[in-house]
Amino acid sequence: MADDRAREDFFSEAQELIEGFARDLLLLEEGEQRGEPDPDVVNEVFRAVHTLKGLAGLFGAPRMGTLAHNLEEILDEIRLGKRRLERNLLDQLFRAVDVLGAMLLAERQNDRSPMPEADAFIDELAHSRKGRASEPVQSRTEYIIDPELLAVLTEYEEHRLQTNVMNGFALYRIRAQFNLLSLDEELDQLKATVKPLGEIITFLPSGDGGDHESIRLEILMASKAQSTTLTATLSSSNIQIEEVAKRTREIEPRYEASLTPVPASTSSINAAVERPPAAPRSSDISELRPQKQPEPVQGMSLRSVSQTVRVDIQKLDRLMNVVGELALVKSSMARITDRVRAMAGLRELASEMHRVQRTFERHLSAMQDGILEVRMVPLGQIFDKLGRVVRQASREVGKQVNLVITGAETEVDKLIVEELSDPLVHMIRNAIDHGIEGAQDRIAVGKPETGTVAINAFQKGSHVVIEIEDDGRGIDEERIREVAVRRGFITEQEAKELGRRESLNLIFVPGFSTKNAADMLAGRGVGMDIVKTNINRLGGFVDIQSEKGIGTKMTVTLPITLAILSSLVIGVGAQTFALPLSSVQEALAFEEGAIRSVEGRDFMSLRGTTLPIARLSRLFNIADSTSARGGRGFVVVISAGARRLGLVVDHLEGQQDIVIKPLGASLRQVVRGFAGATELGDQRVGLVLDTPSLVDEVLSTNSEFSGKNTFEPRSEPRGLGPS
Amino acid sequence: MLAPASASDRILRRAVAESSIAEYLAFRLSGETYALPLSDIREILTQHVLTPVPRAPKEILGIVSVRGQLVTVLDPRVRLRLKPQPQTKRSRILAVLAPSGETMGLFVDEVLQVYRLAPNEIEHTSQALGGNAVEHVVGIGRRDGVLLFLLSLPPLVAMG
Repeated sequence: MADDRAREDFFSEAQELIEGFARDLLLLEEGEQRGEPDPDVVNEVFRAVHTLKGLAGLFGAPRMGTLAHNLEEILDEIRLGKRRLERNLLDQLFRAVDVLGAMLLAERQNDRSPMPEADAFIDELAHSRKGRASEPVQSRTEYIIDPELLAVLTEYEEHRLQTNVMNGFALYRIRAQFNLLSLDEELDQLKATVKPLGEIITFLPSGDGGDHESIRLEILMASKAQSTTLTATLSSSNIQIEEVAKRTREIEPRYEASLTPVPASTSSINAAVERPPAAPRSSDISELRPQKQPEPVQGMSLRSVSQTVRVDIQKLDRLMNVVGELALVKSSMARITDRVRAMAGLRELASEMHRVQRTFERHLSAMQDGILEVRMVPLGQIFDKLGRVVRQASREVGKQVNLVITGAETEVDKLIVEELSDPLVHMIRNAIDHGIEGAQDRIAVGKPETGTVAINAFQKGSHVVIEIEDDGRGIDEERIREVAVRRGFITEQEAKELGRRESLNLIFVPGFSTKNAADMLAGRGVGMDIVKTNINRLGGFVDIQSEKGIGTKMTVTLPITLAILSSLVIGVGAQTFALPLSSVQEALAFEEGAIRSVEGRDFMSLRGTTLPIARLSRLFNIADSTSARGGRGFVVVISAGARRLGLVVDHLEGQQDIVIKPLGASLRQVVRGFAGATELGDQRVGLVLDTPSLVDEVLSTNSEFSGKNTFEPRSEPRGLGPS
Repeated sequence: MLAPASASDRILRRAVAESSIAEYLAFRLSGETYALPLSDIREILTQHVLTPVPRAPKEILGIVSVRGQLVTVLDPRVRLRLKPQPQTKRSRILAVLAPSGETMGLFVDEVLQVYRLAPNEIEHTSQALGGNAVEHVVGIGRRDGVLLFLLSLPPLVAMG
């Protein structure tokens, strides 16, 4: 049944793609008659064919796959300007639409009979491609373009740049400020605005001017319009337009030579770097960009497709849910066994049941391990990308940096790997930008000229630890405290009480940055607070150690899988909640007498430090709580970065591995403070507390943190205290 | 080609169905009889443990786990401005598919029966009902002296 539906989806999607392909071909024909086909449409067709190829591979339609593959290669050559879209080529493409349609029909009717005509057509296409050398295009005018920009152009962008230059279009450099949250929409809007005037060739985050809410992009654009027209069209306070100067000397025809980077006088390239090495393979860098070109064609053979299965991770989630259900069945069975054992004369039956139950348990845990294993991918997948980041970033700031990676084979849940990429990139960039000193400074303090950034990953119990270590100048703890006090994140008194680790962790507070003058890398992407938030969201934790003059080490601890979470189960009144164990530091007996109240906030001392206290019964408005009525209870110390909070609860039920499930979408809209919920057996559901958001909430509320309902998400920045 | 034939067949069948009998599931809320189109109901949950969610608005009674999926349970009585009722042995949760695609639960005092109503048994006027009810009640069904308030699901499960 499910297979039938998937096949049905395949047919309808393939049909749509083929129809879209045909429509776009008509547009291309129009464009060809006018002189130049719209590059966006060429890209559209290329993407459609690429998708069709993937679909055909997935559904075992090899003939369609081969045809799509050939079409893809041809279209790629057109995209890159290696081949012109001529009349007879267009005819071939139009014929391909008919052939694809016939193939799809045959697939649908499960008709496996030979299709000599289609095969002949595929041969024809393949032959037309053979023996074609790429035609290098010469550019006649040279523009002075930032070497950093040139170094990261993809092959396609290079081609577009050259085509536009050859058509006599002028190049413009546009700097524009974008809001991080709406970056995609704003960019699309800008693209649509300039489309009638020219073409955006590439855009890169620019070094300066961004903050943690916005990003400044540097856009390279070709246009036939005068710069005044362009300025009028793009009139907006946060857009600057600058025409790229031309150089007049004759140049060699070869591309590498023609675009040899010319360090502009304003270039911030450090003297230590003579010039960037010859343009690196552009595909290596393309991932650094906010927006990617379509993935290059993978050398995927149909054979390998038949041996591996692509699985939607949600299907694995569903399987994991079934395992969770079975675990509940298992505990029900255990209870029944106990009852049977208590009955006279049924001991033997009871022990037999017990044996069966043990076997069931063993198989169940094997099944759970199996599913978890399928979700695992090696961290090396993102480490490769980090290597490119290091190369790129070190070149930009003119520092020599060596990257050492160990533990790339460490495996972690696929979903975690995907979410981990951005925070890691950011931490690496920080290490290179703020950590590693320039060559001169390093030599002066007797360090090797080349700095080292080391990434080390290893498994530790049910967690994976990733350390990002640099041998740079370290973080000045005193200065961090100073800045935190000056910005009102903490009081001077609090600053005195802060331990070393807590001081360092202040860099994770939103809006904190010790760099005043924005340098090249500042403002790129997100701040450390976002890094922390992202890692917290994965149930992980980031810690920082630093020795002034020696280096900095960031330690990211993550659960191996998101499917299972170690938790501390606690109770307040009649309600049961789970706290992610990764955020729990310790639990102590609660004594009403230990609480001091200052300006409506509760505190207690914990080994010489001050710990803010919140009663969960009051936060959640739970009436029948014993600890709230002066009875005994516990304080669970939870942490989020440098900030700690003692949560007063009635009782501790113990540690439990739980399968966390998301709350329904409509509930998530209106309630804050929960990361999800989990089944605890006996049909009970326990809500899982979102500890970072609770800590934020309590510590940012000025005086009262009673259990009032707070439906609107708060948007004001949250610091450590009243600001 | 098979597809066009089956498609037209389907359309034909739907047209016939629409012009005649409609099925409604009737249930009790605060002593009154309400009903939803049977096609909106995915399941009637009998055994359930409702877990209250702190800070949730009062129309959200809590969450239940239905075969591993967390379902948010609403109290239609809050939406319909009816008197609250204690949970009893007859209380049930109707699992419904909200227009957003989310499965949600509706807490009812008692599930009664399925009514098959012909068009002439449904009065499509809600003018007689004042206040908040108009938004939710799309018609009144009459059968053997029983008055059925026919509800429309989308506004009932809309949030925010």
